[in-house]
Amino acid sequence: MESRVLKPMLAVYVVAFILFLYGPFFVLGILSFQQGPDGGPQFPITEWSTYWYRQIFGLTPPSRIAPLPVGEALIRSLILAFMTMVTSTVLGVMSAQAFRRKFRGSGVVFYLIVLGMMVPGVLTGLGTSLLANNVFDITRHWYTTAFATHVAYTFPFAFLVMLAILNRFDGSVEEAAWSLGVSPWKTFRKVTFPLIFPGVLSAMLFAFTLSFDEFPRSLFAAGGTEDQTLPLAIYGTFSVEIHPNIFAFGVLTTLFSFALLSVYGILMGLSVRRARKLAMQEEIA
Amino acid sequence: MSDVSVEAKREGPSWLILPGIIWMALFMVVPIAMICYVSFWTQTTFNISSTPTLASWKQFFASDTYTGALWTTVRIWLIVLATTFIIGYPTALFVGLFVKSKTLSTVLLVVCVIPFWTSFLIRVLAWRPMLGKEGAINIILLKLHIITHPIEVLLFTELSVIIGMSQIYCVFMVGPIAFMLGRIDRNIIEAARDLGAGFGRIFWKIIFPLSLPGVVVGAIFVSVMVLGEFATSGALSGRKVNLLGNIIVTQVGSLKWAMASVTGVILTVVMGMVIAAFLRIVDLKQEL
Repeated sequence: MESRVLKPMLAVYVVAFILFLYGPFFVLGILSFQQGPDGGPQFPITEWSTYWYRQIFGLTPPSRIAPLPVGEALIRSLILAFMTMVTSTVLGVMSAQAFRRKFRGSGVVFYLIVLGMMVPGVLTGLGTSLLANNVFDITRHWYTTAFATHVAYTFPFAFLVMLAILNRFDGSVEEAAWSLGVSPWKTFRKVTFPLIFPGVLSAMLFAFTLSFDEFPRSLFAAGGTEDQTLPLAIYGTFSVEIHPNIFAFGVLTTLFSFALLSVYGILMGLSVRRARKLAMQEEIA
Repeated sequence: MSDVSVEAKREGPSWLILPGIIWMALFMVVPIAMICYVSFWTQTTFNISSTPTLASWKQFFASDTYTGALWTTVRIWLIVLATTFIIGYPTALFVGLFVKSKTLSTVLLVVCVIPFWTSFLIRVLAWRPMLGKEGAINIILLKLHIITHPIEVLLFTELSVIIGMSQIYCVFMVGPIAFMLGRIDRNIIEAARDLGAGFGRIFWKIIFPLSLPGVVVGAIFVSVMVLGEFATSGALSGRKVNLLGNIIVTQVGSLKWAMASVTGVILTVVMGMVIAAFLRIVDLKQEL
């Protein structure tokens, strides 16, 4: 009855909502094929071309518009995201493992960790650079101060993912291993870890993408131009006139993210399939 | 014997929590404490010394620029909170409650999340060719003869900041709400319907109250992100809209660490009050 009217209305609304989410990207995608180097970052398209894509890869003759300074920044961002991913996943797994037992002050510790994803990057970034500049008198770098703030941001996500996984974890398999005399570390490696691996993958994906795209923390906690990460390089173009090369770059990074997401999907699929195969073997045995 | 040792090994030793605590203390708690401390330091033109003073605090509250930024931040936060809720709730309702197939609702959620794999800054920037005087919206409206002159208030105004933030953050509302709606026992709704309740009544008496934890979680996400914003307001308002975050960035840029710290403390206080208020409504740990 009312759902006969309401449901189609909501469906239409959801389509409009998705258009709202994607609208700017369509425009961005279209404008990335603007003619270069004279075409501006707006309509109309004077002529369709792949000039701005070629410019990113340095395939165009030099023009008055400087290419985006992304090469080294991209490598820095990838390394930083990788370091952050490993550190925060390890911390996340350890902390979530500790949370399986009630301990004194666990409520406080929970909020201490979760606060890391709530405190705005401006604040942790500012505080860290204050400490580095005025107390310890150390130079800020992307791989030191910025790295520390990145982990303080992504570790809570890894922690929550692992907590959710371990909450649904059946501890009896571990107990079986222990009572057979297997050491705790070996039990973790051989029994627990393979079982929580899908969660670990999700935690890693979270940490990597969050760090790769992290901007306010890096802005404060990374040093000068020789320390620019990718978002900082993009931010640098904000203050000057923007050109379609930034749009072309946006399209490319989106494609890169899709590639990353597909790798994650494949790994996830493989691990699920492996788990299923193991379960089947158990049934047969 | 094995019972005892299994009990002892059960769920790992608690020293495992230490590295996490230490990291968060060193790189989150200490930095924020440092901001509070430095806000009382003495600022000279090029230098800063640890002689305690209230000068920067007085300067903050005496200046219209700074207090104005505080009110702008609160106003934009409230508006964006409202728009993301209004825009997001119907979508969450459809995804979480009306879609019967689990696959379809997952697909819809993934479709909503995909834009997040584009760099945040590029997502912000994408609004410029959309909203500009010669932007896509104006061109479409002109072509459709809805307007005769391009609308100029769309870009580089407070409105453009609100539009941009609403789009960027509305998904954070959709996710948690859809999750809570998906958990509602369908039998309750069926029972209410059998007893003759109309949809409006079912919605206000059952669906909405049960989705409230999702709304609160979504509101926390949106609030936290909007309050700490400075990139969207900088890029889409042409530096006309100054949030507390923008003040911090410009002050640090001109090495006015003390003033940046005062602004940081005020931002922390606002944030703390907002989060505490929301957590009063819902216990986050229980909803996990």
